[in-house]
Order: sequence, then structure tokens, then C-alpha cells
Amino acid sequence: MIASVGTDLPLQVLRATGRYAGPLTWDIDRAFPLAGQWLESKFATWAFSILEDWAQGRFDALDAVVFTRSDDNAQRLYYYVCELRRRGLLRGPEPILFDVGFIGRATSAARTVASVRALASRFGVSDAAIEAELVRADAASVPAPAPAAGPACLLAGTPPPDERVSAMIAAAGFQPHGDTLEQLWARECPGVAVGTGDPCAAIGHRLHEWQPGPRGFFNRGAAVVQAARAVSAKAAVLWFVEEDEALVWHLPAQRRALAEAGIPTLALSRRSWRADDGLDAEITAFLKEVAA
Amino acid sequence: MTTPTGQRMRQTLACTAAANAYQKQFGIDLKRRVVDEGEPFAIVQADTPHEIFHVMDIPIITNQWWSAYISAKQLSGRYFEVMAEHGYPENSCKYCSLGLACTLANDPKTAPWGGLPTPTVLVARLTCDCIQHVFGQWAEAMGTEFFAMEAPAWEHKDPRWFAHSNRDWDEIYQPDRIALMVSEMRDLITLLEKRTGRRFDEAKLHHLMERINEQEGYIWEANQALAKARPCPVSIGEQMSNTMIPQWHRGSDWAVNHARRFRDEVLDRIAQGQGAADDERIRLMWIGAGVWHDPGFYQALEERMGAVFVWSMYMPFAGPQYIRELKDRPMEALASRICSMNEVLHLPPWMNGWMESEAERCGLDAAVVLLPPDNRLSQSGTRLTALSLEQAGIPVLMIDADMVDAKNWDHDRMVTLVGNFLTEKGLA
Repeated sequence: MIASVGTDLPLQVLRATGRYAGPLTWDIDRAFPLAGQWLESKFATWAFSILEDWAQGRFDALDAVVFTRSDDNAQRLYYYVCELRRRGLLRGPEPILFDVGFIGRATSAARTVASVRALASRFGVSDAAIEAELVRADAASVPAPAPAAGPACLLAGTPPPDERVSAMIAAAGFQPHGDTLEQLWARECPGVAVGTGDPCAAIGHRLHEWQPGPRGFFNRGAAVVQAARAVSAKAAVLWFVEEDEALVWHLPAQRRALAEAGIPTLALSRRSWRADDGLDAEITAFLKEVAA
Repeated sequence: MTTPTGQRMRQTLACTAAANAYQKQFGIDLKRRVVDEGEPFAIVQADTPHEIFHVMDIPIITNQWWSAYISAKQLSGRYFEVMAEHGYPENSCKYCSLGLACTLANDPKTAPWGGLPTPTVLVARLTCDCIQHVFGQWAEAMGTEFFAMEAPAWEHKDPRWFAHSNRDWDEIYQPDRIALMVSEMRDLITLLEKRTGRRFDEAKLHHLMERINEQEGYIWEANQALAKARPCPVSIGEQMSNTMIPQWHRGSDWAVNHARRFRDEVLDRIAQGQGAADDERIRLMWIGAGVWHDPGFYQALEERMGAVFVWSMYMPFAGPQYIRELKDRPMEALASRICSMNEVLHLPPWMNGWMESEAERCGLDAAVVLLPPDNRLSQSGTRLTALSLEQAGIPVLMIDADMVDAKNWDHDRMVTLVGNFLTEKGLA
């Protein structure tokens, strides 16, 4: 079986193997005695959890884990896992790094296409199997569900580990809208062209354009306003954790853009990914004020 | 750098003063060209192909050098406040963003050089999560373009890369990674030619690469002699100055001549049995960027314990990471120098493989590692390197501190910390 770590991966290729088990998951509400010896403090908490599980043998049933290069935590964790395996400190699945480029030049697009081909070749997946997976995904795509009733609140910034932050928003009487990291990692690159005769190239070019992860090149101020308007948000929570070194650089621009759009915003930075630092009280107070 | 401690670095080499004087004059000349005469210029990260700009005679301002210049003007504290005023969290990476802060401050009266004019381009390799965001926003604030370069995946993992990287660079750095960087460099050259009207000449690059090999060869020869010498003839502060200042000007007549002069002075001190310290008893390794705000730190334990910092990455890096057999392919040779410059210093197995070997080569007794709290890239690889060193019998002390922010640095406390560590390990 094969698992994955991160966004921006060609999940269609992994699914076409018939052995894809989905993204690795985490349990962050515990200690990490083994991983803590090897990882430095600025690694994301999920990286500690995954490495701890790896060291405890919880992934031993897997054959391979594909890491993305689009996230600094994921790509560094790949090198650490390789080194720990070399030193005999870890066993378990083979780590593989998927090289995805985002720079808006032909060289980066070509690199991404080559990476998709290399991954397919590594797993022995034929173009026909990948094409069949693209056709299946295209047929299975469904429109987004209609928004639930009640005022909407956009949750943006660092993707939370699970529904815990959304639950805080819901408890304050608002409909939360925002992806968890778990959802982002499981999301397949949309809109890949079918019937091109070269499915790896089709996936590679689309991945190069897609850019959902922290390394994407786009105007994140405009994007957050667009996301808020798409759900008619009455409020927004911009939430960034201590370890975030990428998305947090857009906090000033996103805050400004939301203010200009007239959307009340609670901006929080340097927070705990566990959301155990008084976040619920702050969200409740903020949304109560918005609702008043 | 934020608040200098007043502890100064002792100088023993005549060439150190010459290097500092040259760099000061270079700053004056650079300002004249860029600010007064309005020449096209670029802002670049340290791990980008400076050689392209040198060949095209386009002045460059290196982000790390500009940060040091800002700090030397005692402005970093003010600029950290500016970042906070603009809404950036206080733990944002300080090492990369001082230049952006200077631009955002938009205060020509207090900015060095009155602030920078608009560059032709900003260039950075995407080696961490923050740099593309910092450089992207900096370019936007300056009304110019950001040319990013990929830091691609590296699957060929050779822990002993340093032993044959001069010759076998194709294999070590991977042909596909080298080819990608060559393509990117050609795109950069096209952009520069279009924007500046200056031409790139590959024959000139070939000559420059040969001159760089000569320069780095002198530094490497000096370092090999230094590693064997007892006592260590030159402090790491002077190793850094005499390696890094020529490094900014690599391949120029001055840089080559200076490297030769430095080598000669090092060899001369070794021949005379002169040491950086009077009574060397413990040989230490420094892992991380220099503590620019407290250069006197490195010499503080010499008198009391005979503990001498013998090794930092800057000087020995010249051998394995800069010298290249050209093989009539100067662009590829250059790409192999640049395409992993950051990775070998911050990722396993390259970082720990090299440093473990270096500790043995230089006869080191213990290592001190800088662990900046707010910077994943600077922290990266340090724990696994510590593990490698400890397994090789080298005790390791990790220090939580930042190389550019003196806020959590207390000279006396840090010196005591190292002293206590050496005592606990039975070295003093």
C-alpha cells in the first residue's frame, strides 16, 4: 500500500496503482518522545506526529509514502526519514519525494510533468490506467454542496488539524467555511483534461497551475476575499500557528483586503495548532460582537 | 547585530584589515554606481549564481550583505518594529526580511544610502517556506520583478559528497537538477540582457570560473594546513572575514590576490608556530551562521580555559562546494556549485556527513550549535548532526539564539553556558 504526505500530489497516479491508502494522518494531542529527539522546534506539529508513528512502527504495513516538495515541512521530513532509515533508527515504508514546481516558467512546468512520469514509472502504472482514473474522477466530480443555513464565517490562514476550530465557530452560531489540513491533503487536483493521449503531461501541467499549498504564487489578499464572498461570509477568522513560515507573510495583505471588503476579521498569529490556547473564547467573543 | 555587545574580535592578520578596507570601499563604489549613477542592479540571495552578474558587469546587492549593512548602521531594531507595525508577527524570519523592512519603512532620511533605488530584478532560490513570500512582497514594494529559482528534490544522497564533489559533480548533484538550473540561468540571462542591454559571454564565464577555482584553491589549501596545525593559527572570525569578503567578489583580481595573501599569512603563522590563542587546549566547532552581534564571543573562553573555536563552515566550504573541474561546461559546473549550496548545509545526510568528517579532519573536541528559535531553515539538520557528532564521540551543546537578533543573547551568560558544558564533559 502507498500513502501520501502533503498537497500538490498527483493522486490520480497513486489511485491508478490500486494500492493508494490515502494521506497519512496524525494525532497531535500527545507527546512525541522519539520525534522530539530528531526534529527541531519549528517543524509543524503534524510532522512530529507522523515521525513518531513511523518510529513506533505504525506505518510498517505500508510499502511507500510519497512526500510533496511543495511544503517545506514535508520535504524536510522526507530527508530526515531517509537519514533515520539509513542509520537504522527507522524501518517501515520507502519514502519518495515528489518534485513539484510552481514558478511560472516553462522549466518548472516541465519539471513537474517529468516528476509525474517518474512517479508513474516507479509504481509501474500505465498511461491507460492513469487515463481511466482521470475519466473516473471526471465522471465522479460533483458540484459543491449548497451552503448550510445561518451566517457564514470564513476560516483562513494555517489549515487546522481537524474540525476543532470549525466546531468553535459553529458553537458561536456561525457556519464555518475553511479546509482542514486533512481535507487539503486528500483533495485531488481538479480539472485535469481527459483524452489528451498523454495523461501524465495533463496532470503535470494542471498541478503546476493549481497551487493550493503554501508555495503557490498568487495574490492571497484577493483570494481570501474571493473565498469569503463565495460563501457570503459575514465574518472571517485568520488563524496562523507559531510554526507557520509561509502563509503568515500574507496576514497583513489578507487583513487589509478583508477590511476593504467590509468583512469583520479576527486575526490571530503565533497560535497553537492544537487550538488549546484560549481560541474558543476569542472566537466566541468576536462572533458575538459580529452578530450583535 | 541588533545591539552590539562591545566585545570585539582580535585581529592577528594584516590581510584582515585589508579585506575590511576593501569591503568598505566596495560599499562606497556600489552606492555610487547604483544610487548616484543609476546603473541597473539586482538584489540577490547569497545562494544564487552571482557569477552571471559578474560576467555581465551588473552590480548586485546580496540580501545577507545588505542585512549586515543595515545592522551595522544600528537600524535592525527599528526595522523589526516596522515589520510589526505593518502587521507581521514578531517571530517572522529576521534573517531574510531586514531589506524588505527597510523598503517598507520608506524613510530615506534614516535608511542606509537613503534607501535603495528600484532594482532590475530580485533573485532567490526557493530553499525555505518564507523566501518566496518575502522576495515577492519586496519586489512588489519596489515595483519590480522577482525571478525565483527552484530548489528541486535531491534523490542522490551521498553522505561523503564532499570527498569528490570537485570532480564528480554531475553524479553528486544529479544531471537533471543541474540541467534545470542551467535552463533557469539561461532564462535569467535573457531577462537581464533584455532589461539592461548588457551581454552575457560564456567565454568570460569560463575564465571567471577558472579564476574562482584558483581563489578557492588558495582558501582550501590554507584550510587544510590550518586543520593539521597545532595550535590553530587563525581565529574563526578572521577565517570568516578573509573567506567571505573575497567570496562576494569571487573571481575578481582582488579576490584571487587576497585569497593568495591570506593563504600565505596562514602558512607563515603555522611555520612560526603562532596560534590564534596563547594556550590552546580545547578545539571547538561552531555550527551555524556567525553571531554577528557578538564577535568577541568566540574568543571569550580562550584565556580562561584554552578553548578555541577552530572551525566554522565558511572557510572549509570553499573546497568541496566551490572548486569545480570545468569539463568545458562552465554553465553546468556553475549550476552544480549553486544548486545545492543551501541543502548541503541544512539537510541530512549531506550536512551531518560533512560535519562529522570535518570534526575528525580538524581534530575537534566539542561542538557548539546555534539553534535560532524562529527559523526552520537555520535550525534544519542540527539535531541529526548533533546525533552524528555525538556518536563519533564529539560532545555537542545546542544554544537557542538568533544570529541577527541580540534580544535573547547575553554575552556573559552564553560564555558561562559554554564553559560549564566543557567542564561537564570533562574537557576543561
